[in-house]
Amino acid sequence: MRFCRVRSVAEAVDELSRWGTEGRILAGGTDVMPQYLRGEQPPAALIDISGIDGLQGVSEVGGVTSIGTLVTLRRLATASLVAMRHPALAQAATAVGAWQTQTVATLGGNICSAAATADTLPALLVADAQLMLVSKSGRRRIGLEEFLEGPGATALRPTELLRAIEAEPLGERSAEGYVKVGRRSAMDLAVVGLALRLSVTPTGVVNNARIAVCGGTRPPHRVPSAEAAVVGTQLVDGRLDCTDAGAELASAAAPERAREAEYRRRVLPRLLSRLAERCVAGISGVGS
Amino acid sequence: MSLLGSNPARSDADAKLRGEAVFGADLARPGMLWASISRSPVAAGRIRSIDSGPALKVDGVLDVLTAADVPDGRTGVIVNDIPFLAADYVAYEGEPVAIVVADNRAAADAGAQAVDIDIEPTEPVSTPEQALAPGVRLVHPDWNRFAVTGGADIGRDGNVVAEVVHDPGDLDEAFAVADVVVEGTYRTPRQYQAHLEPKMALATYESGRYVIEVSHQYPFRLRDRVAQMLGVAPSAVRVVGHHIGGGFGAKLDVSLEAFAALLARRYRRPVRMQHAALEERLVAPCRANALVSIRSAVSGDGTILATDVEIVSDSGAYANNGPALSAIPMFVFGSIYRVGTARIRTRNVYTNTAPTGAYRGVNGPWLVFANERHIDAVADALDRDRREFRLASLARDGDLMRNGQPLEEISILREAFDRVDELAPWQGAGTGELRGVGQAAAVWLTNPMPGHATVKLNEDGTATVITSATENGSGAVATGLRQIAAETLGLAADAVTITMPDTDATGYDAGSQGSRTTHVVGRAIADASAEVRSQVLDRASQMLEAAPEDLTIDDGVVAVAGVPAASLTLGAVAQAATWSDGPITAGASYVTPTPPHDPACATGMLIKGWPTPTYHLHQAEVSVDVVTGRVTVDRYVVCQEVGRAIHPDAIAGQIQGGVAQGLGFALSERVDLDHGRYVQRTFKAHGLPLAEDVPKVEMIVMEHVDPAGPYGAKGAAEPPIVPVAAAVANAVSDAIGVPFDTLPITPEAVLEALEAES
Repeated sequence: MRFCRVRSVAEAVDELSRWGTEGRILAGGTDVMPQYLRGEQPPAALIDISGIDGLQGVSEVGGVTSIGTLVTLRRLATASLVAMRHPALAQAATAVGAWQTQTVATLGGNICSAAATADTLPALLVADAQLMLVSKSGRRRIGLEEFLEGPGATALRPTELLRAIEAEPLGERSAEGYVKVGRRSAMDLAVVGLALRLSVTPTGVVNNARIAVCGGTRPPHRVPSAEAAVVGTQLVDGRLDCTDAGAELASAAAPERAREAEYRRRVLPRLLSRLAERCVAGISGVGS
Repeated sequence: MSLLGSNPARSDADAKLRGEAVFGADLARPGMLWASISRSPVAAGRIRSIDSGPALKVDGVLDVLTAADVPDGRTGVIVNDIPFLAADYVAYEGEPVAIVVADNRAAADAGAQAVDIDIEPTEPVSTPEQALAPGVRLVHPDWNRFAVTGGADIGRDGNVVAEVVHDPGDLDEAFAVADVVVEGTYRTPRQYQAHLEPKMALATYESGRYVIEVSHQYPFRLRDRVAQMLGVAPSAVRVVGHHIGGGFGAKLDVSLEAFAALLARRYRRPVRMQHAALEERLVAPCRANALVSIRSAVSGDGTILATDVEIVSDSGAYANNGPALSAIPMFVFGSIYRVGTARIRTRNVYTNTAPTGAYRGVNGPWLVFANERHIDAVADALDRDRREFRLASLARDGDLMRNGQPLEEISILREAFDRVDELAPWQGAGTGELRGVGQAAAVWLTNPMPGHATVKLNEDGTATVITSATENGSGAVATGLRQIAAETLGLAADAVTITMPDTDATGYDAGSQGSRTTHVVGRAIADASAEVRSQVLDRASQMLEAAPEDLTIDDGVVAVAGVPAASLTLGAVAQAATWSDGPITAGASYVTPTPPHDPACATGMLIKGWPTPTYHLHQAEVSVDVVTGRVTVDRYVVCQEVGRAIHPDAIAGQIQGGVAQGLGFALSERVDLDHGRYVQRTFKAHGLPLAEDVPKVEMIVMEHVDPAGPYGAKGAAEPPIVPVAAAVANAVSDAIGVPFDTLPITPEAVLEALEAES
């Protein structure tokens, strides 16, 4: 196995085009290294991008948040820009593994591994995240939901590098959050993860809702039927009735017969109500 | 100043913290071979053929052994039912079928995978209920030909490995006059020990003897079992113990050692074996899954007139210790609360699953779970406060256990209820929506089995204790036994060294089990140390020209009381003795006598009495998350009686650890079986509790000295696990208002109950 340490995006895409499907990108290594240690078939080349400065950093560009592919989960969990503009993402990053994992795991790696249990993905989905891909032949932009083709499968071409993630920040009279249910209180994968972003009118009517889940057998995804059941709902006494949305969520998000599906079906409506309550409490200046 | 009740450093702490301690799994020898086991991939079936060819093609593989190459016949602890290697049929997934020996580990593992085992699978007998169903296939068609070595008639019959029946015979009348009859069925899963260091063995063969180096809780049993399996005298086997990376009961019996020993002789080279992570799980002697049904006849005033208990526990494919453990219900029902006339029947049955075995507090967690859930159910049926009902039903000093043994100090338990209430008052505990409180009590034994120690005074005035007591992590050997020797000899704790186990060098020791080390070996050490002390005083009295009774020994110095100038170091005394009468040494043995009991109390009882009982009350306060169904333990209080606390920090560690393991059993650990095969196969799927899932346990340690124990000490390490699941299940049932009689109490089960409730 060749180990290629690259110093720039240009070098990275050169190596990717040379190795094609035989190459594998190494960023934080939290997936790659365990696979290597388990003795799974190693790639012909490991292309280490961790030294590319240009892939770091969180910034605000023209009203969207741009997050470099190498930004670590620990950084997402602690950066004030993320906390203010993308609280669900900050909460999701905190929910991953232990500090040790968060300190090396990168957002780009999380996205490209496309695990069904990836906590950060629902949080990015409710921020309508767009992925900036680059290859030797040019640049490409793709929505996250379209990018996620299956658990562990993405639309990333072998010669492409995920360079940055652009996410839509929270707007006015909006709130969002991410909650995770694992088997244990830490260091565990999500049995269910749920992200919700809500916006309401000054009179307290929900005018936008995005709901995304992870933890099933499908890759993380939005649940339009549940979103539609919330939009147009009037807050009553500062509360949002999520009964219909919860039912939609349960049937749409946990249709499988997997071992834990029954539990997911039970938890999702309850989790949505809890998250909605939290979000509504976080939206100030709304009359009803 | 007394060393007892102080917390000197463990002798192994420094080496373990620095990573210098050599555990069994660290052992290597020049020129050693590696061997690996090919195991049955199915729970039940007939072996059609075994093709070693593919394994022999693996580079580095030397040979493949099957049943034809190893001793025939079956061996075991109580019933000789285990073949050396499966020959005609396999009885559980993971059963050894072939051994592959190679010149390196990777080759041995690859070879073991490559052996082509052709088995015609049969539908496994997968649950104890199924094993007892009429007309069911027998797990061992030849069960009647297996020799029983462990004692009297144990009631074997087909799939029934053992049956213990206590039947006083006049229950019907009580049930006829009862105002209330309360019935419950209590179901518990297996529990996996989840120790970190895998089982291993290193065997050599020299001068006609086998030497086995291992990390093992019970080297003498291992010696005897290896000898039994190889068909040689126990004296032909020497077992040398090394640091143990966790055992919790899983390292009490033979596992890989006889295979390694056989190969060491065959190749005249050291042979090393070690379980891979999956093998550990597949063949671990898990705590048995069990089903307990209790029916009680209760009068309106709350007196339990009669209790009918029916128990089925899963032995798995072989008997192991199951027949002996089947006596334990006799020491739980009626030993804590008065349960009236009791009929107790326990059946231990064969299934096509991995053999179950010892896990800390054998049978205790599920028996106490059933007992305490049932007491809650009776209290609820009578609309009585659960704590008040417990106190009213509590046994009294002089009451007899079901084996006829008097409960001499059960009033300690009454005191425990008071002490817990002072710290965490029952009134007001666990109140509020979806919050609850539960209690559970236990009377647990201190294992009585034999121990021996030799104490020698070294020529530099330090002392060495020579024993095969094993340090299984609790500190009983690394500090407790050393404190006892030092206290008796007048030495500082760090002036006492203690040896690692070696069956050639020491008297018999019954291993690290049932909290016995401090009590039994400690007593032997106290007696031997007293004899050494007496020899020191005799010699010093000549040297100092003073009467022995006028001498004191403190911190290694012998002095004439009141005359500080007239003194000698212990080193000077030891040297003088060595070169005149000879070295100062003494040995002592101890076995706890079996308590008085009625030998006719039941049939099939291999454990007759409940020696050196200790007393335990646990109280759990929980809250339930209405959204996720998760149970959080908000407060956990343990009141435990220990005789005398030799090393309070070590006891605290055992309590905290036992509660953590108990919480895993109650709430999160999964050891599910599906058609005889384990469903969860990794630590990730297993669900051990993490630090965040375990509250800081509040502890009350009560001392009531036991005259037979060293300085009054009983046992302390094992029982903290015993009442945990019961206390938690009672608390969760209280929080939700729905009985939780099945473990584990998963978020799924909680949500189901909440939905049923609303």
